[in-house]
Amino acid sequence: MKKSLIDVFVEGARKGLQINFNSIIPNLIMAFVLIQALKITGILAFLGNAFAPIMAVFGLPGEGITVLLSAWLSMGGGVGACASLYAEGILTGTHVSILIPAIFLMGAQAQYMGRCLGTAGVQGKYYAPLLGIAIVNALLAMLVMRFLV
Amino acid sequence: MGKITKETSTVQKAETPLEQDRAKSVPWYGYVSLILAIIFFSGIFANAEGWLKVFDFTALLGQFGALQGPNSAAATFTGSSGIGARDGFLFALSLAPSVMLALGIVEIVTYLQGLRAAEKLLTPLLRPLLGIPGITGLALISSLQSTDAGASMTRELRDNDMITDRERLLFCAFQLSADGIITNYLATGAALFSLMTVPIITPLIVMCVFKVFGTNLMRLYLKRIPEEAINK
Repeated sequence: MKKSLIDVFVEGARKGLQINFNSIIPNLIMAFVLIQALKITGILAFLGNAFAPIMAVFGLPGEGITVLLSAWLSMGGGVGACASLYAEGILTGTHVSILIPAIFLMGAQAQYMGRCLGTAGVQGKYYAPLLGIAIVNALLAMLVMRFLV
Repeated sequence: MGKITKETSTVQKAETPLEQDRAKSVPWYGYVSLILAIIFFSGIFANAEGWLKVFDFTALLGQFGALQGPNSAAATFTGSSGIGARDGFLFALSLAPSVMLALGIVEIVTYLQGLRAAEKLLTPLLRPLLGIPGITGLALISSLQSTDAGASMTRELRDNDMITDRERLLFCAFQLSADGIITNYLATGAALFSLMTVPIITPLIVMCVFKVFGTNLMRLYLKRIPEEAINK
């Protein structure tokens, strides 16, 4: 039974809407609330100062660390933190471009330990090197992006 | 010796759905849809004049209408200087069109076998680039779309002895970093597309390069471990 391309497109768009409602909106709310809470408590400013020297290596302000930490928990969280910090005027378009590959390269590792490594049947002793490599990928990608933006 | 066993088992498994799927050739429109998809998301025609613009993601995505703000500043329906959960909600809602457009296109490319075309082109490169056999091609392409599909197919490949423990680890190193990259980047990442200063495809290419790089780091890490010791 051949489907028309219109039906196929609509099917994909429906999947997109489901992702938007079930994943993107909840994750972004989480990230925006997290950033807001960090801001109100002054933790964001503290992290910004504490991590400024390290993040400067990647051409980013210290607050950029919150994007990486949120990304490790969920990709949507990382993206949301990034968008929220942009809205706050803390990150610029250049900063966002540097961060974006890193958000996904080290993204959602907390979940993917189970969903990827667990499902594939990888032995526990290899989790550390595999997770470590993902973080190395993310850090190096930020350095590369620094020269591409 | 291990290699011979593996090849025999591959022959024995030739009738599984996975193998039958691989045996089918990819039609011409598979390649065409793949090329069009790359053009579409690359932004090559972002600044084109006239009809060529139809091949540009952002051109088809369009724009929200502007509202008149209090200080006669123009804003979209998300407004300006919102904060917290309410701002997050409207922002997330404003992403729906780009996620729906992107996944609609990906669905068409999948339907026209564009991803099978990519698989076919990639298969001979897998051994030299990643140290994994061509048989992982389908699982690899699936993992670009869905973390869960990629991981479960990897498990199946190992359970059927089509890949070794070492190859499974290399394959997982490839998958884990930026897992489900196409869906995740085009759906979730869409939130940042209008903020970035680079074309949509640039971060995608950088991520793919690092997926390969990371796999080779794992290859180096495993080099000192003999095959029989890997699963001890």
